[in-house]
Amino acid sequence: MTAPVRPGAAPLLRSTSLLIRLRLRRLANLIAAGSQGRKKPDDKTRTGNPGKKSSKIVLYIAWPMMLFMFGAITANSVMNLHGALDPPGSFWVTVEFSTALAIGIAFLLFVLWLASLLVTVGSGELAKPEWDLEWLITLPVRAETLLWARLAERSIVNPSGAIALIPACTAIAWYSGLRWSAPLIGVLAAWPLLLLAALVRTLIDTGLRLRMRAAQLRNLHAVISVLSIITMYLAISIGLKGKSDFMLRVAGSMPDWLLYTPMGLTVRAINERTFLDAGLLTVALLAEVAALVWLGLQLLRHQLRNGVVAGGARDAARNSARQDPESDAGSRPVAPARSAFVELSAVQRRELALLRRDRNFLVQSLVLPLLIVGGQVLLGTSGVASTMWTNPNVLASVAFGLAAYSLSMSAFQTLNSEGHALWLLYTFPCSIEEVLKDKAKLWGVLTLAYPLVLFGIGAVVAPSLDWTFAGAMLTALLGIPIYAFIAVALGVFGSNPLEQQPNQKVKPAYVYLFMTLSALYVYAIVTPQPVQRLIFMVLSMLLAAALWQKARDQLGYLLDPDASPPPRVSTSDGLIAAMVFFVAQAVAAAVIIGRGRMTGAAVLFAFSIGGAVTYALMRSVYAKAKTEGVPQILGSANRPLLGLAAGLAAGAVGVLYIFGLDALDLLESFKRAGESYASLGLWTLPLALIAAPLFEEFIFRGLIFGGLRRSFGIWPATLASAALFAIVHPAFSIIPVFVLGACAALVYERSRSLLAPMIVHAVYNACVIGAQTFLL
Amino acid sequence: MIEFQQLTRTYGDFTAVHPLSLEIPSGEVFGFLGPNGAGKTTTIRMMMGILVPSGGRALINGLDCHLQRAEVQRHVGYLPDNPIYYDFLRGREILQFVAEMHGMGRREAGQQALRMLSEFGLDEVVDEFAVNYSMGMKKKLGLACALIHDPQVLILDEPINGLDPRAAREVQDRLRQAAASGKTIFMSTHLLDMAEKVCTRVGIIHRGELTATGTLEELRERVNQNVSLEEVFLKVTAEGAEAP
Repeated sequence: MTAPVRPGAAPLLRSTSLLIRLRLRRLANLIAAGSQGRKKPDDKTRTGNPGKKSSKIVLYIAWPMMLFMFGAITANSVMNLHGALDPPGSFWVTVEFSTALAIGIAFLLFVLWLASLLVTVGSGELAKPEWDLEWLITLPVRAETLLWARLAERSIVNPSGAIALIPACTAIAWYSGLRWSAPLIGVLAAWPLLLLAALVRTLIDTGLRLRMRAAQLRNLHAVISVLSIITMYLAISIGLKGKSDFMLRVAGSMPDWLLYTPMGLTVRAINERTFLDAGLLTVALLAEVAALVWLGLQLLRHQLRNGVVAGGARDAARNSARQDPESDAGSRPVAPARSAFVELSAVQRRELALLRRDRNFLVQSLVLPLLIVGGQVLLGTSGVASTMWTNPNVLASVAFGLAAYSLSMSAFQTLNSEGHALWLLYTFPCSIEEVLKDKAKLWGVLTLAYPLVLFGIGAVVAPSLDWTFAGAMLTALLGIPIYAFIAVALGVFGSNPLEQQPNQKVKPAYVYLFMTLSALYVYAIVTPQPVQRLIFMVLSMLLAAALWQKARDQLGYLLDPDASPPPRVSTSDGLIAAMVFFVAQAVAAAVIIGRGRMTGAAVLFAFSIGGAVTYALMRSVYAKAKTEGVPQILGSANRPLLGLAAGLAAGAVGVLYIFGLDALDLLESFKRAGESYASLGLWTLPLALIAAPLFEEFIFRGLIFGGLRRSFGIWPATLASAALFAIVHPAFSIIPVFVLGACAALVYERSRSLLAPMIVHAVYNACVIGAQTFLL
Repeated sequence: MIEFQQLTRTYGDFTAVHPLSLEIPSGEVFGFLGPNGAGKTTTIRMMMGILVPSGGRALINGLDCHLQRAEVQRHVGYLPDNPIYYDFLRGREILQFVAEMHGMGRREAGQQALRMLSEFGLDEVVDEFAVNYSMGMKKKLGLACALIHDPQVLILDEPINGLDPRAAREVQDRLRQAAASGKTIFMSTHLLDMAEKVCTRVGIIHRGELTATGTLEELRERVNQNVSLEEVFLKVTAEGAEAP
């Protein structure tokens, strides 16, 4: 026998500390689990899981940064309040606040408190009972003790509350003349407010859950998440220059009794100079908070009088089923109202049904982006809000940003929205890629709504409708479907559909990657040159294809905790190789030339070094990973004669093009711009006839065309790889180089080894150089 | 026909399924028995293309379950041990969705879904969200999903685990009916009386290794005469037991 068990309930202090420890332990496990990727303990083999370090980044970098940022914002807020509420020119800093200022600061604290409370409630899933009270109530602890313990625990483990309130209280303490002790006072002063936040939160998510039906809870949750964003923006706006007018006016109209609320008492207690008065104010504050908490607990006990388990879930579904006009369908199986002009697939109809019923999903994917981007535009200091309607580039960028944000909340989440029902997709006789494609198409069209509405307004109010307007709009509109595919593809890597915790479902690194890629596309919208625009669109499309291919390789392994697809040559490898090639070439050129002049020899060497480095790097990576399908220079069917013929054909196009340019008197200007081979002298020959074919064919035909060919038909792969090949060449040669790229790709398709496309490339270059030499 | 050829699965250093070779001819009801954590669900998930074999392969009707998954699913119906459904969708809508994904037209799928649901005694809850179903209803809905395209092969993970006696009996009757119509059934279970009632042949898997296969009579003979399947099971899966 062990020690005798004490009869009766565990005492308050003990159960509180146990609960807090349990909650902290859980938080630590969550962070640890996040840093290990997946839950399987023996998960060592899974590669390519860059989500691994993200949560540590949150811990070490994001947290201190957020604390500092909120500190800075509240410090600014206090300054702004002082400027607005105190008589001009009055002395301040390290003195007692005037009554008006104290009221203003109490108001600031209240808004921050409210925002953090709403964020906390909104970030959980109200309708899904995650709460553990049901389990805790079975332990030998009195219900009242349990509720107290829950409050105490939530007042301490509340990240967003701490981020909003501790820096604010610290800033108030700082302006009250405290220095080194300000952070300590900040933590102590924030605690009573955090306790109140815990009380309200518990009343909402424990008490209200019992009284409201699931559908109502979901609506409430949707409303709260919208309110939380708005409140957060309002709170932040107090500290922003030029954006604070509204909130400062509200702060100025606050009544005096605000000073007697917990927020007001907190401000006064921090600011009070004499020890005794400060002590009295603190006692008053604590008494007030204690009274409020006691009242709240009585209310909570009243709410829990019939037990702690909500009984309404099933009724809720029945009721909502009846309310839904489509559901009197015992006799009428389907109601195809919307497929009048477009036949949606089963997957798309299901997604729309979810969107229609799940208000929370609707708000998250379509309403929140509007609020957040809208808030940025209104609060931002760059004056976007004022120029948006006069500058089509700004309008198109905002529209694209809005759609991209929405995609990151919708298309990016396609796997997560399947959640634990993902197994169903594996029972269907169609590839999961098809399902994802359906969803990408759906979201690509749905999110077009934002830009279309914005452009509609823009077209009405714009000073003039011209080609700039049309070009920017068109670029933005074309970008959205491309980015829908990119979002779905990145979502395959960036989501954990089987994760229970809503905040663990997404790997933030991939969301940031998506947002960064979206930001790059904005350049395509704002650039004045059509060629640049074209280049960016081609690059985005290739990027989408490459990412899609990577995702597609992954699909068979989604539910597998530690197997990963066998390494194969992919389009993305080709894009990376092309980038390495250009960077290595530039570095080599810089080293070789130093401060000297660029000579033909230097260009040849830089090019060859860059190419060799890229080639060696790619081959060694492939060898290490035992990759399948690495392009070979010599194979079983080399087809050199086919290469020669195709090279002559492409060369003929090139020569004709050069003569055409000459006839239009354009050739000279290009030559002066140094964009032709002829400017490099005799070094041209080894460069154009050996080095360029050797390295460029490996990258553009071997990796990019070969990679694309694995997932796409011969024509899309040929055209896409030729387009990329063309746009990395000087602008004047885009057309003939495109033809060359297409010819070389088609020859490679036949020969399956790189010798033939290399011959195409060399012959083409020989023809073109010949023609240029002849003419110039 | 189902065939395992040296089917293996490891998680890191841990081998969940040792090289497993087995052939299950058409029309057989095969019971895959074993204690918790023996590798039953891992094997079934490899058959469904949810997990990727670390070695060897699983074939159904001669098609590779991993490489030709979509093609395989044409002929297969699957019921997981714990079927989870989409939130906010009614039982009828889920079944209709499944039918449409199997290539049925929209109207036909809707009608077929209603027919199946009433066959399974779920008329009353067709318009309720499936996440609110009880465990028994979820399993029945899952079985309806598995059967709606009239597959030749059924793969069932613990089909009657967690069901009340009446529901369990109903599901067993359904399975017998399916077997009588010539379907091949592969089911995992640790409910031995059920295996005795339904299966034509059983295999016992223990710590990832197939330790015994055969008809019930064959197994009894190998262990001892005239003992129940429970005795056989306990003997074969005893700690440190050698394969008989």
